[in-house]
Amino acid sequence: MSLLSFFVTQSANALSQAALLFFLGVGLTLIFGIMRIVNFAHGTFYMLGAFIGYSAARLSGSFWLALALAPIAVGILGALFELGILRRLYRRDESAFLMVTFGLALVLTELIRLSWGPEALPVGPPTAFSGIVMLMGEPFPVYRLFLAGAGAVVALGIWQFLERTRLGLLIRATSQNAEMVHALGIDVNLVRSAVFGIGCGLAGAGGVLAAPLVTASIGMAATMIIDAFVIVIIGGMGSFPGSLLGAVLVAFVQVFGEYYVPDLALAFMYLVMLLVLVIRPGGLLGKEA
Amino acid sequence: MTSSAKMTRRTILGATIASAAGFATPWSIRNAAAAEPIKIGAPLALTGPLGSVGQQLKRGCELWTKVQNAKGGLLGRPIQLLIEDTGGNPADAVRKAQEMVERDGCNIFTGITLSSEALAVVPKLDEWNAIFVSSDNGDGRLTAESFVPNFFRANISAPMGARAVSLFLRSAPYKNFYAIGMDYAWGRNSVSVFESEMKQAKKNFIGSVFSPIGTKDFSTYITKIRQSEADACYVTMAGDDYNAFLSQAAQYKLPEKVQLLSEVVDLTVPRAVGDAALGLISSMRYCFRVDNPKNKDFVAIWQKEYGAVPDNNEGEQWQALQILAAGIEKAKGTETKALRSALETVEIDDIKGHVAIRKCDHQGVQGGTIVKLVKAEGFTYPAPEIIATFPGDKTAPACNKMTFED
Repeated sequence: MSLLSFFVTQSANALSQAALLFFLGVGLTLIFGIMRIVNFAHGTFYMLGAFIGYSAARLSGSFWLALALAPIAVGILGALFELGILRRLYRRDESAFLMVTFGLALVLTELIRLSWGPEALPVGPPTAFSGIVMLMGEPFPVYRLFLAGAGAVVALGIWQFLERTRLGLLIRATSQNAEMVHALGIDVNLVRSAVFGIGCGLAGAGGVLAAPLVTASIGMAATMIIDAFVIVIIGGMGSFPGSLLGAVLVAFVQVFGEYYVPDLALAFMYLVMLLVLVIRPGGLLGKEA
Repeated sequence: MTSSAKMTRRTILGATIASAAGFATPWSIRNAAAAEPIKIGAPLALTGPLGSVGQQLKRGCELWTKVQNAKGGLLGRPIQLLIEDTGGNPADAVRKAQEMVERDGCNIFTGITLSSEALAVVPKLDEWNAIFVSSDNGDGRLTAESFVPNFFRANISAPMGARAVSLFLRSAPYKNFYAIGMDYAWGRNSVSVFESEMKQAKKNFIGSVFSPIGTKDFSTYITKIRQSEADACYVTMAGDDYNAFLSQAAQYKLPEKVQLLSEVVDLTVPRAVGDAALGLISSMRYCFRVDNPKNKDFVAIWQKEYGAVPDNNEGEQWQALQILAAGIEKAKGTETKALRSALETVEIDDIKGHVAIRKCDHQGVQGGTIVKLVKAEGFTYPAPEIIATFPGDKTAPACNKMTFED
């Protein structure tokens, strides 16, 4: 394998991982930006997406249908959670959100265990993308290329949504000054429900997309949520481009770090976070704290 | 250190559930039968990346206890199982075990799931005056440099599993080997034994790599295996990590180029990854296909209870409790000193055939089995087929050793 082909294939790998991290990180950061809360249940919504995706793919025989349905289901559940429970807590201090979302994570995890059982479940990649392509003379799974592409398309879509649509404008405005938006006669609560639902739906989509790589399993939330938090901290809490930058940075550092210094594989991500926190405490693209 | 930082949330979860369960225990003691129950403590890793292993051990413990109590218990005393979740965290395993000793007066342990947990628990056994019969811990050090007299290993160890694979490879066509293991006690130990075995056998051992527990993306590791030009790769993994590795290796078409060999495989793996597990050759500590009457009965009882064939660790947990029961009957009680000397010479003929605990290092000497995962009738996933067996005196290392001389 030549050095060039090595860098090309590993970069493609890193982009596919960045896409998965982005699906989780972007929701987390949007929710934080507009609601000032850290959603501890975010990893669990991601896991729920994978399990609903498993059942949908099994019943319908179509991965694509699963990919369409699971995020919608998870998004609706997220929005309902905001409407039913979180909304009552906005006058309380932040620890209330921490407790409630952490509690939701526990309850959802146990509900998933009760509904689907404790064992990991198979979700195959869609048949069209289950093969390999030769990338600079090296075999590379088509599905990973698809992941990288899906990440790019969704990132572009969210950017356009935030910049061009009225809801996007309201989301940006609310994250800057919620009281002013409220004073202008906009129902801020509705914006919050929408953002929470969209964020959870994106996590659910990430879960379905990750399932062919890691199977649908109870452990997937715990291993992913830490990475998502790190991304959000690196990129800047509440910053959409920050979450994208954080995801790409973490994925590249992990992939190349693991290759060259496997013994420090876990440490790299935290070292980057540490460095960012020292140099820019608010995150790379965040507001300075 | 880093992996424990990663599992903090899980640990809190485990601790919450476990402390809730703890409050309930005194009530069940008060309601127990008149005869003093035999308490067996099982601090299991029910959650975390190796949660599926802990869940198997739990089922093994529960069904054995149910069947044994239906037969009137042991020595006329009912068996009471104490189960708590450690989350796979060694510090929590020690704490939960200590609670069982102090709160419940328990002096018998089994099912401690990770080798790292077992290695943390064994130095405390003397202080607790407690016996620990391992059903699952692979790390060779437990019967070698970390051996303590109150520890017994009823299961096949990592060196024994690696040895069975190595004996199989002596007559197999592969020449160049690479190895990948999970980065903790068991993974490191198993790979080092395999490496020394391959060097003994004059095979070309190219190198090894270790992935942290909870790794999600194995692309760099798969690249390393492919770059090594090995024609076979030895894999020491379990739980979610194993599933992710096999799924991704299949997506890279790695098995077409490299034969994957493994120290141990649970049925949960092919069930989770489907055809990605096809063709895997592995040592199996317990395989439901073993052909003897006791095993047939066991498989039938298991299928009736759980609607599936018993898995690797489920059979191992059953066998460990059978050995413990034989020890308790021989000692005519559960007093630690008497039980220890009884267990030292216990022999049983059970679901895996003959198993004899040897006095020198308390390892259960038993035969090794090599399986291949193939498409089989009656199974929706690749199922094991026994392709070789080796007698216990060939697979067990010398007393207090982890490697082999020949």
